[in-house]
Amino acid sequence: MIQALAALVGAGLTLAACYSAGALLIDGLDLKLRRPERFPLAFFVGAACLHLAVFVILAAQIAYWPVLVGLLAGVVAMAVAQGSWRIRGDSAEPLSRNIKVFCSVLFGAFSILYLFNAWAPEMSPDGSAYHLGLVARYLRAHGFERITTNIYAGLSAGVEMLYVPAFAIGRHSAAALVHFGFTVALALAMLAYGRRIGKPWAGAAGALLTYASPVVGVDGTSAYIDVAVAATAFGAFYWLQVWDDLSRDSNGATQHVASSNRALIPVGLLAGYCFAAKYTAFLMVPFAIGFVLWRSRKLGPALRVAVLALPMIAPWMLKDWIILRNPIAPFGNQIFRNPNWRVSVEEEYRDYYRSYDLKNKWTLPLEVTVRGGITNGYLGPVFLLAPLALLALRQRAGRRLLAAGATMFVPYFANVGTRFLIPCLPFVSLALALALDAGKRQAPMKPAKGAKARVGTFLQEWFQRCRSWRVLLVLLMLVHAATSWPAAARAYSKSWAWRLNTIPVEAALRIIPQDKYLREHDSGYGLARMVDEYVPKGERVLALNDLPWAYTSRDVLVSFQGGYNETLADIFNVGWMAAYQPRVLETYKFAERRIRRIRALQTALGAQGEQWSVQELRFFDHGAELPRAPEWRLRAWPNPWDVQLAFDNSDATRWRTWERAAPGDYIDVDFGTTQKIDELRIERSSDYNRIQIQIEVMTDASGWTKLLATHQDSGMQPHGNIRRAATYELAARGIHYLMLYDTDYGAADVRGDPAAWGLTEIAKGYGARIYRVNP
Amino acid sequence: VNARTLVLIPLAGLCACQNMPPPYAPPAQRHPFESVRPYRMARIIEMDDGDAPGHFVRDISGALVANWRWTGQHPAVRVLLPSNKDLFYTIDFTIPEISFRQTGPVTVSFYVNGHLLDRVRCTSPGTEHFEKPVPESWVQPNQDATAEAEIDKMYVSPKDGKRSGFVLTRIGFEQAEPK
Repeated sequence: MIQALAALVGAGLTLAACYSAGALLIDGLDLKLRRPERFPLAFFVGAACLHLAVFVILAAQIAYWPVLVGLLAGVVAMAVAQGSWRIRGDSAEPLSRNIKVFCSVLFGAFSILYLFNAWAPEMSPDGSAYHLGLVARYLRAHGFERITTNIYAGLSAGVEMLYVPAFAIGRHSAAALVHFGFTVALALAMLAYGRRIGKPWAGAAGALLTYASPVVGVDGTSAYIDVAVAATAFGAFYWLQVWDDLSRDSNGATQHVASSNRALIPVGLLAGYCFAAKYTAFLMVPFAIGFVLWRSRKLGPALRVAVLALPMIAPWMLKDWIILRNPIAPFGNQIFRNPNWRVSVEEEYRDYYRSYDLKNKWTLPLEVTVRGGITNGYLGPVFLLAPLALLALRQRAGRRLLAAGATMFVPYFANVGTRFLIPCLPFVSLALALALDAGKRQAPMKPAKGAKARVGTFLQEWFQRCRSWRVLLVLLMLVHAATSWPAAARAYSKSWAWRLNTIPVEAALRIIPQDKYLREHDSGYGLARMVDEYVPKGERVLALNDLPWAYTSRDVLVSFQGGYNETLADIFNVGWMAAYQPRVLETYKFAERRIRRIRALQTALGAQGEQWSVQELRFFDHGAELPRAPEWRLRAWPNPWDVQLAFDNSDATRWRTWERAAPGDYIDVDFGTTQKIDELRIERSSDYNRIQIQIEVMTDASGWTKLLATHQDSGMQPHGNIRRAATYELAARGIHYLMLYDTDYGAADVRGDPAAWGLTEIAKGYGARIYRVNP
Repeated sequence: VNARTLVLIPLAGLCACQNMPPPYAPPAQRHPFESVRPYRMARIIEMDDGDAPGHFVRDISGALVANWRWTGQHPAVRVLLPSNKDLFYTIDFTIPEISFRQTGPVTVSFYVNGHLLDRVRCTSPGTEHFEKPVPESWVQPNQDATAEAEIDKMYVSPKDGKRSGFVLTRIGFEQAEPK
């Protein structure tokens, strides 16, 4: 029960601080908002500001509990003292009793479902892995750590910054509840927007379409960030409308009002916060700049937005630049070369997320709206009607919504997962609702002559009546609510689709203890606890696949989450996979000559995904190998950081390009002094065949010169026990523990004879085993 | 203009970054692990392995109880064997008291790729371990092989009439210790 209470307090205080910070700013800027929009709009801006404050605390390495709680409590207290918590603002378009009752029932039902799911122990895949894993790690270190072994540490984490204080107080569920707070705020903002444009029914319908959408439900009640990103983007859009309304008089003509300029402050901050929350939402920055430029016809206000967005963006880019040598990590690795994240994996990620291995892309609409099995979740069947939203183009508000929605939709094709549609969902939902909510009653039709005409007239009148009664809209809301409710959703979506299934009251209230609940419902949790139990503090664990590391305090290096990890996994794989072992010996013989600098230059373009790799590169003179000397200087391209792996005399390690082999790739050795050489040997794996090597020497006169060499390939066998060599290399890099799922590639090989690998099985369970590397 | 310059200059600066390291010296040289005993292949499916169900061919219950599962009459698993040298068929199973009371002594036959390897008569309930060398010609290296067992008499549950064979803990192949 204390855990449940702590989660509520942690989330409540964080959400209150977000609102407080925003309300203080709005009141300080003397911006007049309507009553219903004050809470959500202040909340969004406050979240942006608070995220920066937490960033500063983490950067200053002072993320201690009292500091974080002091920050939250201080902001709330200041807002209360300043009177910012008093209900204020102009009245908005009144809501009819029908709307109030109807919305209370529908929103209330989903809110209960969501609250208990958010409150229950957190076990969402990404939430319990990196979103909260990093938060927990920063809190343990009391600040940012220099993490180069996890791709996710490079992503901007604007929303996770808000999870930091919540987590410090109420742990994992508190973070999920903060995200739930964003989900509610988004719905309130959409409701308020409908009232601002004089279409409360459209606002209500749009809000429900987004709020009740199954993917929003499951995402917005876990420690993910997508709904918060959508809320932030919608908040920026909303503030743009506020600014636009303030800068126009009642006739729509431009007027210079000081408050309209001040309204650009929240616009800029929120647009920048979109980037901070998620890279893909950065398009809200150009959208906001473009909108302001278009509406004001002046460069100044647009520049103001850009400059105000910068404080939200710059810290994240600087952090990545300093730690990862790549300001947009983990992307752009071909431009910003670094050892932390590999081009090949970036490309593999990109290729996969573009399709999710969906065989027929034409099934994507059905997949993301109804099935949800492949793209992880679904929006709900009513979103098959989304193209009808284009009818909203007839209205000014509709055009704006669709423009913003289209902007947020652009990055979707880089990742066709359903949740990547969430940022554009509020805009599409409102546009769809607007399209179906014609609002005004049409003039009565003239009586028609003839039976056929009378039928046509009757239908037309009936249709108009439906529109004026908003029957279509109400029907849409009812159908969406009914089809999105878990019990109904199970009937049509894939059984394994990502969605909410129950209202876990007992789990939320911790009547079922959290540990018991998680062990029964999430085998990953049990595994994470097993890691904590069997791996000593301070030890790193190599894993080939992910686990919910927010529940372990050990540093788990997941093979595909960082360049260093990939090298470690490659070493492990060389141990058991013949195709990765040195099985091919390439010999290049040439007339003996004195050489100071020599290189093996690769001249062919590899097939898609084909890399060049070298286990060992050796030099000979009359059959005697040149001993490697400390004065040698080794260079390689690409991946210069791993060049030593081709000169360590270990069969278990190899230098790889870690990107598609291309002409110009090389390994270059400067001997420091001239050496007599007549032969070069490359020991390599057999997992590539298009590579062409040319031997070149550096001469003072003409730079690199091609050597005429005879080339011969022959087979070879690894020396000694290569499995043991692999684990020796892991240990040499500080990896003394290995966590393998039984289904991992290579796991069966290890399981077959751990002793020959130099491993001892120390724990087994939850479909995995933990091994200790023998000294 | 000033603000624009302020934005553009750092961005241009970032694009110019080439995080190239200085050249490296050769690292410490490793020595091959010649004296460590060679790897001894084993492909034994333990019933509580995370990937065990993926190896089941037939007659093994999906329900895992502790580290064992009930079988049907003729359970079989399939594994990929990298080698056919010095292979042993190995199995650990139990004839439970409850079924033995009904069936009395039972005979369990062991097969590899459909070839009968041996038969064992179980005259009392309890845990049994069986292993026996597999003729090389029965197995192709780098191909799937099936390890099977067959019980002659089935236990019929008086409660629901469900028919069960025996309790299986592990089954598969392993290579003999190098001589």
